[in-house]
Amino acid sequence: MDELEVIRVRDEVLQAMYWMHSEAISTMPTAKELSQFLAVPDTVLVPFLERFVEDGLLEGESTSFYWLSPDGMEAGKRTFADEMADLTRPTHGECDADCWCHDSPEAAADCLHERTGKAHST
Amino acid sequence: MKEPEKPIPPDPPGAQILPKNFLRPCLLLLLREHPAHGYDLLERLRPLGFNRDDPGRLYRALRALEKDKLVRSVWEKSSAGPDRRMYELTRAGMEELHESVMSLKATGEILDLFISRYTEFVALRPTKKKSPANHD
Repeated sequence: MDELEVIRVRDEVLQAMYWMHSEAISTMPTAKELSQFLAVPDTVLVPFLERFVEDGLLEGESTSFYWLSPDGMEAGKRTFADEMADLTRPTHGECDADCWCHDSPEAAADCLHERTGKAHST
Repeated sequence: MKEPEKPIPPDPPGAQILPKNFLRPCLLLLLREHPAHGYDLLERLRPLGFNRDDPGRLYRALRALEKDKLVRSVWEKSSAGPDRRMYELTRAGMEELHESVMSLKATGEILDLFISRYTEFVALRPTKKKSPANHD
């Protein structure tokens, strides 16, 4: 098994399983459900799932059902956030360094408030 | 996971015919209405002709939209369960939605003409509501 491929698949699987779990779609998917979810054949996916069980990221029940271990849960959430990090920064508004929201804590709070409805421009 | 994806099976007879890649503008529209979680989007896609049986398709579509910078997501803290991703539209997403709508509008006008010419010699009964088919 190519280790670079293992890392890539691991991130994809953990992120997908975290999303399924957090959206209450499935906390304990089967290999078939996961393969449909990720649009890859289950024969390709199962060896990776077993590897992630060995690595302590997943827990499983005789190659039927899989669920995230506490480490897997943490990794799934973290890698999901890391992958999209450039899209979610900066924290309030898509503003420049001289944006009015840096003028005071109140202005920063207003910016955050506005961001929930609409982004402001500088 | 290098094997090619399985081809999407043809629509069953009598299924609704929706434009190719219709899921994409639908998601942009739903997020234009308001930011939402995945589960909420799954529910709100139903009246637009998508069933709830394929959450993976929604997940992959959201990921693609996010990678294309049309959508962004942030964690929303939950006291009752795991944190969830909240999706919202970006300005680029708003612009792509508008372009898609103009294109769909032009398609709609052609379809209206097509149906109107057909109804010159066949009267059509009102369409019965069908259960949503699986489309993209």
